[in-house]
Amino acid sequence: MKENLPDQDGFFGEYGGKFVPETLMFALDELEQTYKTLKDNNDFNAEFHRDLAEFVGRPSPLYFAKRLTEHYSTASIWLKREDLNHTGAHKINNTVGQILLAKYMGKKRIIAETGAGQHGVATATVAARLGLDCHIYMGSEDVRRQSLNVYRMKLLGAKVHEVNSGSATLKDALNEALRDWVTNIEDTYYIIGSVTGPHPYPMIVRDFNAVVGYELIEQSQESFGRMPDSIIACVGGGSNAMGIFYPFIKMNDVELIGVEAAGKGIETGEHAAPLNDGTPGVLHGAKSYLMQDENGQVKGTASISAGLDYPGVGPEHSWLKDIKRAKYVAVSDDEVMKAFHMVNRMEGILPALETAHAFAYLDELMPQMSKEQHIVINVSGRGDKDLNSVVEIEGIKL
Amino acid sequence: MKRIESRLKELSKVNQKAFVGYIVAGDPDLETSLDLMHLSVESGIDILEIGVPFTDPIAEGPTIQQAHDRSLENDTNLQKIVDLVGRFREKDSDTPIILMGYINNFLMYKDLINSSDELGVDGVLVVDIPGELSLKDYGIDNKDLDIISLVSPTTSKERIQRIAKNSSGFIYYVTLRGVTGSSNLDGNEIEQNIQYIKSISTTPVMAGFGIKTKDDAKLLSSFSDGIVIGSSIVELIHKNSENKDFHEVSDYISTMKDAIR
Repeated sequence: MKENLPDQDGFFGEYGGKFVPETLMFALDELEQTYKTLKDNNDFNAEFHRDLAEFVGRPSPLYFAKRLTEHYSTASIWLKREDLNHTGAHKINNTVGQILLAKYMGKKRIIAETGAGQHGVATATVAARLGLDCHIYMGSEDVRRQSLNVYRMKLLGAKVHEVNSGSATLKDALNEALRDWVTNIEDTYYIIGSVTGPHPYPMIVRDFNAVVGYELIEQSQESFGRMPDSIIACVGGGSNAMGIFYPFIKMNDVELIGVEAAGKGIETGEHAAPLNDGTPGVLHGAKSYLMQDENGQVKGTASISAGLDYPGVGPEHSWLKDIKRAKYVAVSDDEVMKAFHMVNRMEGILPALETAHAFAYLDELMPQMSKEQHIVINVSGRGDKDLNSVVEIEGIKL
Repeated sequence: MKRIESRLKELSKVNQKAFVGYIVAGDPDLETSLDLMHLSVESGIDILEIGVPFTDPIAEGPTIQQAHDRSLENDTNLQKIVDLVGRFREKDSDTPIILMGYINNFLMYKDLINSSDELGVDGVLVVDIPGELSLKDYGIDNKDLDIISLVSPTTSKERIQRIAKNSSGFIYYVTLRGVTGSSNLDGNEIEQNIQYIKSISTTPVMAGFGIKTKDDAKLLSSFSDGIVIGSSIVELIHKNSENKDFHEVSDYISTMKDAIR
């Protein structure tokens, strides 16, 4: 297998690259140079790991899910508890890292896009800590679905810009953030929230999230004396999955499973599963699997989960799919709601709707496993933010 | 000689600057686009830039974004746009035509763009591919087409040299940091940068993004080979789409053409 991807032009095989308007090239080059210099710098790494320990609360525990394990009565189920991080999701790992890059580069203004609001909150949090001006772009449909997170961002001093263009979801928020960046290129740092976008973002976001996978290597050894048989994570843009998969890519015995949002069902076309039902194309600066029509227009998406409601996916996932190193499956909104309740009832954990996608795959996976095996689910975030949506979906009056 | 080159030579012979005008194909509909193309040429546009609509046009401001959306509601695609150009050519075989759009749409129509048949199109400008890369690497290769590249205020001198090598027809100098239709032009910076491009390349340089008024046009044309205007024209087209009386469009184009004479 080829090592050290992406290559110098930012490609993972045929995927990735820098497909952006010329004005942005200078900022991407500047970011790439800065990251190259800092990533092996001891002071930078010490500061990053100190923040992860003291501000985020890492390492996150690897927790044995006893009742879920008994329920399926095949392999042992372990949970990597990213939901216990400060701000409630894996998203903080990346923002803590990128804000340090912004600080070293002397940028005074921070922008970000957000879908479910977790990345927006994580960005507003680190910007507040450094006293930086922070602007978050969010689709108006998501502002409605995730009003609690919107208020949290405002509490943190960020300005939330509602985006009404296109489908008014994550992809449109990304478009708008890119337009802001083109306009304010010199003083602004753009913290992309997933392993998407032009090079070097997919690499940087992966590297900062890979702390999850590196911790898991040690914790697996301590907890059950070897590496897991399977690792399961939900995939929207794919940052939590990439973070936990990355250190295991070269361990071929560890099965990597990404779970996409099948929405109302892959066969209905109303979903957000480009790896299951998309074709290679270019969106937001990178080539990757994409939900698009025969004219190359990007299709609308549908998912119960705002964080997975995105027509593209990180380029490294497209590469892992093509070389068959990772397997990508999809679960429907109905299956997700069932899993959401199951995890609450059996483990006392309120998972984000995004995360519930990973749990929803257990029904299919577990019957194929055997007792002596160990699987790990990346519990990418907690679900407090989704309670309004769940109540609405289930027609409950509070 | 290719159409773009010969049109620019004709203009420079008589000491005139070029006026490149942008409209979005299919806004408000393709029939009207055909009329607007002819009207634009009659009113003073020297080179037509035809916008290929995309769902996610990240370099465009709201005016052109909305035009893309309106056009997509009419199911405009690249095949229909090439057909539109074919119909335009029935009456006008001289005016150069450039297709401007985003890589994903061009990739889907590679075979059409690469076909040896006379497309009637003279150049392509792909907004989201870095200028030092070659479209050939992405399977888009037609020797009859000029490849127009963008240079921006943030492009390094080293990149300008590489981009200039890959460009033909003209180099499109983006006059501001921002999306189409913004307004923060810095005359001095633009002049210096265009002078630098001209010092290393013989390819003509057009200035565009953010040109709205006669004064903008006059200033920028004084140190470039011509100007590109998009958002203002697109806005006037939209304003008059209901009754399809496009006097305002043609008056605006004539006024701007006069300003750069």
